[in-house]
Amino acid sequence: MAKVKLTLLFVFFGFLALLLQLTFFHVLPLGPVVPDLTLILCVYLGLYRPTVGSVLGSFLLGYSVDVFSSPVLGLNTFAMSVVFLVVYLSSRRIWIHNELWSAVLVFAAGWVKGVALILALGVFASGVDGWHSAFRYIFLEALCAAILAPAVFFFLRRSQSHLEPARTAV
Amino acid sequence: MLALIQKNQVLITSFLSVLVSLYLLIVASTGQLRRDPVGPLVLELMRPFAALVQGALNTTRGLTAQYRELTGALAENQRLKARILELEAERQRLYEAQATARRLQGLLELREQIPDKTVAANVIAGSASTWFQSLTLDKGADDGIEKGMAVVAAAGVLGQIVAVSARTAKVLLVTDSHSAVDVVCQRSRARGIVSGSLEGPIVKYVKRSEDLKPGDRLITSGLDGVFPKGMLVGHVEKVQKKGQGLFQQVTVTLAVDPRKVEEALIVIPGGRPS
Repeated sequence: MAKVKLTLLFVFFGFLALLLQLTFFHVLPLGPVVPDLTLILCVYLGLYRPTVGSVLGSFLLGYSVDVFSSPVLGLNTFAMSVVFLVVYLSSRRIWIHNELWSAVLVFAAGWVKGVALILALGVFASGVDGWHSAFRYIFLEALCAAILAPAVFFFLRRSQSHLEPARTAV
Repeated sequence: MLALIQKNQVLITSFLSVLVSLYLLIVASTGQLRRDPVGPLVLELMRPFAALVQGALNTTRGLTAQYRELTGALAENQRLKARILELEAERQRLYEAQATARRLQGLLELREQIPDKTVAANVIAGSASTWFQSLTLDKGADDGIEKGMAVVAAAGVLGQIVAVSARTAKVLLVTDSHSAVDVVCQRSRARGIVSGSLEGPIVKYVKRSEDLKPGDRLITSGLDGVFPKGMLVGHVEKVQKKGQGLFQQVTVTLAVDPRKVEEALIVIPGGRPS
């Protein structure tokens, strides 16, 4: 039962993240930068819930962003899958006790996602014109995500420990 | 063997996930993906929520503006304040109604200029990604909308439909680097392609010999087969002739700011005027 509740929590958060990215974040004075909550969720899943379901979840998060935003289906799906894989491989060596460190990790994940996107754009779409701007975009997007990461991690960890009392007691 | 797979199931699934997404990219980028079976479901699922939040945000914007106007009146006595609040609320409502009427009037006038049939639609969501510039409209295949149709706002060209579900349509905006609108300069008849870039909208492929000046109006040529001829796209902002290249570097100020658009017209080519 706890597993189902936990899955529902992540599904709900993923849905909320996408909804905010589609609507509310456009009201914020951030120019073209849309804070990437789906990236934070993907990093969280890779770190604290590395399961087959989380792999599928990250894939679907990227896919959903693609459905609404990408000119070519699969660009964000690919980037998000790569981020999950990298975070999962790193999670064997990293253990974050402090929420602030999550900001550093999400910032790095933002760069991984940005580079994966640029590569995919270069190979499968019309590419990126202006490297300087591309890196500025990656930096700003990663920074926004990093700023939000501690709060999101805190919320998700609290919710997860609330739904998994037995596990946190150990 | 089975134990090894079970032990590394997350790693294996992650690799598979990357491979499947790559396959999806290959299929989609080569145009082999005729129908996306899941995408329209996601669009339809999000539609009511996105429309609800967008509506609430539009209302909040109005209220915030009203609140800012009212902060100067705090020193007023209680009775007058209450009265002002009442009047401001009424005024805000009227302003909003007037602004909506003006926007719709603009769309109506535009609709009369376009020889093809048009369908009016509301914007229900923006782009979920920093990297791609898109909008979601509340009209879809049920209203006769198809991929490839042009989308225009009262002030000018907005973008092109790139995906549709039963009741929603995704618009790739002119500001996206993957978009291309064939334009002609109204004054000198110089031709080019307006496209987005990470540094802002630009005109591509304008020969060095062509005559373009800041302030020139750029209109659709109609040659791309998507946008009706003669629609305003934007104005030339800056013209540069760097190095020895074949083309000029031209930046554009678009006629439409996609972030401020709330309603748009979808042009149905060959359809009878409505």
